[in-house]
Amino acid sequence: MTQHSYGIMAEFKTPEALMEAVRAAKRAGYTRLDAFSPFPLSDLAKELGVRTSVIPWIALVAGLTGGVIQYASQYWMNAIDYPLNVGGRPLHSWPAFIPASLIVAILWAGAATLIGLLLILRLPRLHHPVFATPGFARASEDRFFLCILQDDPLYDDAAVHAFFGALSPLAVQEVPACD
Amino acid sequence: MSSDAHAATSRVADVPLSPHFGWVWWLALLASGGLVALLGYTLISVTIIGVGVWGVNIPYVWGFDLINYAWWIGIANGASLFAAILVLRRHDLRTAVNRFAEGVALFAVICAGIFPIFHLGRPWLFYWTFPYPATFEVWPQFRSTLTWDFWAISTHVIVTSLLWYVGLIPDLATLRDRARRKVVQQVYGVLALGWRGSVRHWAYHQRAYRLVAILVLPLILIMQSTVAFEFAVTLVPDWHETRQPLHFVATGLAQGLSIVLLVAVLLRWSLRLGRYIDEGDIDLLGKLVLTSALVSGYLYIDEIAAALLSGGLAQEATFTRMTGQYAGLYWTAIVYSVLIPQLFWFRVARLSTVGGVFVGFSIGVGIWFDRFSIIVGGLQTDYLPSVGRTYSPTLPETGLFLGTVGLFVALLLLFVRFLPVVSMFETRHDEHEEKSS
Repeated sequence: MTQHSYGIMAEFKTPEALMEAVRAAKRAGYTRLDAFSPFPLSDLAKELGVRTSVIPWIALVAGLTGGVIQYASQYWMNAIDYPLNVGGRPLHSWPAFIPASLIVAILWAGAATLIGLLLILRLPRLHHPVFATPGFARASEDRFFLCILQDDPLYDDAAVHAFFGALSPLAVQEVPACD
Repeated sequence: MSSDAHAATSRVADVPLSPHFGWVWWLALLASGGLVALLGYTLISVTIIGVGVWGVNIPYVWGFDLINYAWWIGIANGASLFAAILVLRRHDLRTAVNRFAEGVALFAVICAGIFPIFHLGRPWLFYWTFPYPATFEVWPQFRSTLTWDFWAISTHVIVTSLLWYVGLIPDLATLRDRARRKVVQQVYGVLALGWRGSVRHWAYHQRAYRLVAILVLPLILIMQSTVAFEFAVTLVPDWHETRQPLHFVATGLAQGLSIVLLVAVLLRWSLRLGRYIDEGDIDLLGKLVLTSALVSGYLYIDEIAAALLSGGLAQEATFTRMTGQYAGLYWTAIVYSVLIPQLFWFRVARLSTVGGVFVGFSIGVGIWFDRFSIIVGGLQTDYLPSVGRTYSPTLPETGLFLGTVGLFVALLLLFVRFLPVVSMFETRHDEHEEKSS
């Protein structure tokens, strides 16, 4: 039966209860946890060891790349490949090349960050096993869920049920795996 | 069955999910749809016949096309700047106004983008501003402000729409989960991209959203300055001023704020969202609008001071704009964008729906006259002896302007009908914080 399950999901009423459950699960030695909430819980993310520091790096690298490409292409096009003398002004008019370089740097940084975000989160996806949990729709409104995944080394049906039972959640359900 | 949090945002979610929306909405959509049809007609006519249908001619090569472009872009930039600052400061007001402030910015920049493209005369060749390997081996001239504008507008459209959409994803998931009809579930389900509210996802989502919101800040300042540079790099006296970018940024912010206030007041009143956009929010917005109007006032004084200091033709040009045949535009701008907002010194005026609509609208109108005054009034005195023409908009130009207003209103109506106008997850977050503190 266990190989056909994604994990076991417990439902809680408040973010505080979810936080306690996560702490208890970590004390009990579970490592493959996923929590779901209707709004961002930054303390809980820290507790779960989520590190988001890759995001600013994506922005920085993409922004620099975009800015350099824009400046270099303006220079190459206007000073080398198609030099056009307008009233004797210098071909390499660097001040004039700056606004577009900055703007395009922001374009690359912004687009890369937001598209990169979706790639990191592996979205869009049409379905996910957790959606099969009865009542999970309220994870986008007012309920808080904790799932202990089936691939956790300590995963054992009865033990997880017993563990969750001690936390007095609103419900404990098995999440069937998708094929 | 419903707990506090369940009820917290249901009013916001009910709006897009309700099957009927009343005849007022339909009537408004019909009216704005009519204006969009007018927009289509004027755009087709200017494409087929050419810019000769407009009232522009030497020396007035910039007429309604640039006036309205500068006006719309000011709204877009002002609203974006405001939204970005709220996110950056983690201000409580962001929960109430960010979503539709970003919406206003996006719709305004779409309206703005129409003008420079059709101003080209051959709009179907607009892609010539993009550096692509053309068969005739010519590259765009990057020393021209017009190419900066191409990057600025396209960047603004791409970044704001992405930011807006990414911010909407969790709320779209709420709508997906609350929807009862299969089709509605599927539409919001696809749009929500499979968002499941994982805490790990939230952490990334918030980090990326904040970061891009911060990136918007310099973008807006550069962009609004770019609009001003289009004037400042010409040799026309009165335009060729280093104070021009400051004038455009500051009055643009006033304009963006006033339109955000206008929309906030109307939404609050029409959708009964008093709980989400509360009195405190409206009061604070009113104070911000008043402050920005005072800054505009300061800049009008600065304009006079700059003219007095400059002397010669530049001084003459500025004073001609204030006293010549287009003086009415200048003084209307002052009355509407600086004097009328002084009503907001009174708390009663800030909190009243009529007051908010009146002042929000009046600043919008005032800055429109300001752009009109700068563009047309600024051209009466040139280094060349004028040919003695005057400029007035023709019917197709007026139709084009009204058409973009219709497009803006239509987009806003569709947004209000189908999307949550207030960020639901931010509201839940705020209410949770309040409860736990």
